[in-house]
Amino acid sequence: MPQTTIYVAPRLAGTLGTIPPAVATVELARLFGRSAALAGVSLTIEIGRTVGLVGPNGAGKTTLLRLCATAIRPSYGSLAIDGIDAQEHPELIRGRAVYLSHATGHYDDLTALENLRFAATMFGWGEREGDPVVREALETVGLAFVAGARVRTFSAGMRKRLALARVLVARPSLLLLDEPHAALDSDGMALVDRLIGLWHEAGVTVLVASHQADRVASMADATVRLEGGLVAEVSGAGVSQGPVGATARPRVAVVGMDR
Amino acid sequence: MKSRVLGFVALLAVIAAAIFGLFVVPADLHQGDAQRVMYVHVGSAWLGELSFGLAALAGLGYLWRRDLRFDALAHSAVEVGVLFTAFAIWGGMMWGRPVWGVFWQWEDPRLATTALLLALGIGYLLLRRLSDDPTRRASRAAVVGLIAALDIPIIHFSVIWWRGLHQGPTFIDPAKSLKAAVPMLFVAALLFMLTAFTLTWAWLLIRRYQLARLETRIEEEVRLSRINAARAAATAPGGAVEEPAG
Amino acid sequence: MSELRRGLAVAIAIARKDATSELRGRQAAGSTLFFAAIVLLLFGFALGPNAQRLAEAAPGLLWLAIVFGGLLTMARLHQLEAEDGALEQLALYPVDRRAIYAGKALAGAAAMLVLGGLLVPVVAILYTIPLGSAWLPLLAAVVLGAIGFAAVGTAYAGLTVRMRAREVMLPLLMLPIVAPLLLAAVKVTVTALGGDPLGEQGAWLQLLAGFDVIMLVVGAGTYGFLLEE
Repeated sequence: MPQTTIYVAPRLAGTLGTIPPAVATVELARLFGRSAALAGVSLTIEIGRTVGLVGPNGAGKTTLLRLCATAIRPSYGSLAIDGIDAQEHPELIRGRAVYLSHATGHYDDLTALENLRFAATMFGWGEREGDPVVREALETVGLAFVAGARVRTFSAGMRKRLALARVLVARPSLLLLDEPHAALDSDGMALVDRLIGLWHEAGVTVLVASHQADRVASMADATVRLEGGLVAEVSGAGVSQGPVGATARPRVAVVGMDR
Repeated sequence: MKSRVLGFVALLAVIAAAIFGLFVVPADLHQGDAQRVMYVHVGSAWLGELSFGLAALAGLGYLWRRDLRFDALAHSAVEVGVLFTAFAIWGGMMWGRPVWGVFWQWEDPRLATTALLLALGIGYLLLRRLSDDPTRRASRAAVVGLIAALDIPIIHFSVIWWRGLHQGPTFIDPAKSLKAAVPMLFVAALLFMLTAFTLTWAWLLIRRYQLARLETRIEEEVRLSRINAARAAATAPGGAVEEPAG
Repeated sequence: MSELRRGLAVAIAIARKDATSELRGRQAAGSTLFFAAIVLLLFGFALGPNAQRLAEAAPGLLWLAIVFGGLLTMARLHQLEAEDGALEQLALYPVDRRAIYAGKALAGAAAMLVLGGLLVPVVAILYTIPLGSAWLPLLAAVVLGAIGFAAVGTAYAGLTVRMRAREVMLPLLMLPIVAPLLLAAVKVTVTALGGDPLGEQGAWLQLLAGFDVIMLVVGAGTYGFLLEE
């Protein structure tokens, strides 16, 4: 088993010295055009937990992950990552929240090594200190043997592994994994499970959206089931639905509307 | 209510200025009656540029505050601006035909500048059309409006230096008119019409803005109703939503 | 100060990545150059065969070809990001958005510089223009023009890359904005090749520089807003 170093973002102290929850949402909603991908989700996720996000297609799993990553802004409601408001200071959340998306996001004409080196620079590693990190990541995901090959030649599974390597090069406090097992063979899936275990050990909060509910449930502290853009069920430890005082109606929070 | 008064006043002012410009002020010695078009042409071009400036500032306001009201203002300003700019071009062509003999003259810097302005404005409006999401549309429009407005002075400089023989308003050149009193009348007509047009511009802007706000509000209601519909569907018998505690 | 160094490192990393992709990208960059050359050829058919008429039109035609090729180039540089969803990842890195803009604008300017630089000899040959001592102001025009075009192009390409009808929106938005750039660049070229009786070349170069500065500042300031979704 190759050595794998997990890099973690430093903990942030909340007000009064308490540790803020990794994710805290109040009536979080997001519309695309006129359809509501998320229709009002209120969740509080404790730091360090591994949480499975399950539900049918279109339930809002990806949208929730992307909102937490600050890839998109909420339409209504509020969202705080590690106590940082996503609307006010998204730039502080970037780098702490790392998102593994469906699309692997590589540069096809660059080699695996070049892609990772670029990511390392973007995540704040210097040229020299980043090199061993990059190489170790490639080893871990089993792509060391194609480090010098262009990503254009990669299979879907290899692209996924490279994306995982990119996550290893980051220093997150929150990981948002969107179908991490997709496109992988059984070895690859075992790799993902192992990595999730390592992240959990290191204290990183992990949110995993997956169709493979059983696989996720066995690793996770808690499971959140989404349906139709809403939370259908929460089970397990470390996740609670709705902070104290949540109302049933979406708060009108779009700036600029006179009512 | 107030905008009604403004509208009424603007209408009166335009009619009065038109009467003044058409009948009270004598025709130009060299250009004849065609020169009267200048009274509306100059004002329109200027108001078009003012609109773009306003739109740029409103766009900046949106980017700074994320308040969609700024975006509505910017949108309204550009629409009204495009209207006045198009009118300015039309006026320029109407003026050009009898005076120069042609509808278009590349050597007139104002015409070329105004044409570019129209292109910028239409581009802005098309951009808005092709964006669905309100916040993305607002961000994109704000950036485009800002860049366009900053480009306007650059366009001015470049086109004027481009060896344009600017058909300046003849009243400024005293050698062209024999009577000393006449230039004052020309200036008066110009300013009168400019004021009337500005009032009209303000009125159009306010009305358009109100309309934009209404549109946004309707859009907002629809979006909220979608969310509430989704929630209702989940809490209906057979749904599996737990009521949030507290 | 380390903020600046970090920003610089990010910008350079992005520019280097883009340059590498361009150079390796199956001659996509070369195709654009070839396209621009064909456009010049076609201008020859459209306006020729009178050699004098072509020689007079040459500066304008050169810059039109650069603009058309430039539109393709700027679009392609952002297309790189859109292909595999890399743009979303790029927007999520903990880096200053101005540095991202700087990197992409740098790559864009470099690509435009190559395009312009290679088109000049093509024009010289097709329209029989002796270059001689004109090369210095010509170089200045190409450099300043490349920077200005890339400054606007980076912002607008970032804006349109995820839009409907993006292929037409980018040119539609860009062309009116770069009209003064085109004008100034052509003027410098004309005075460089045919003499400068009015002594206006300096003024036009200043206009180009001013355009560049303004557009770079605005582009850097607003690019962050365009990366959001």
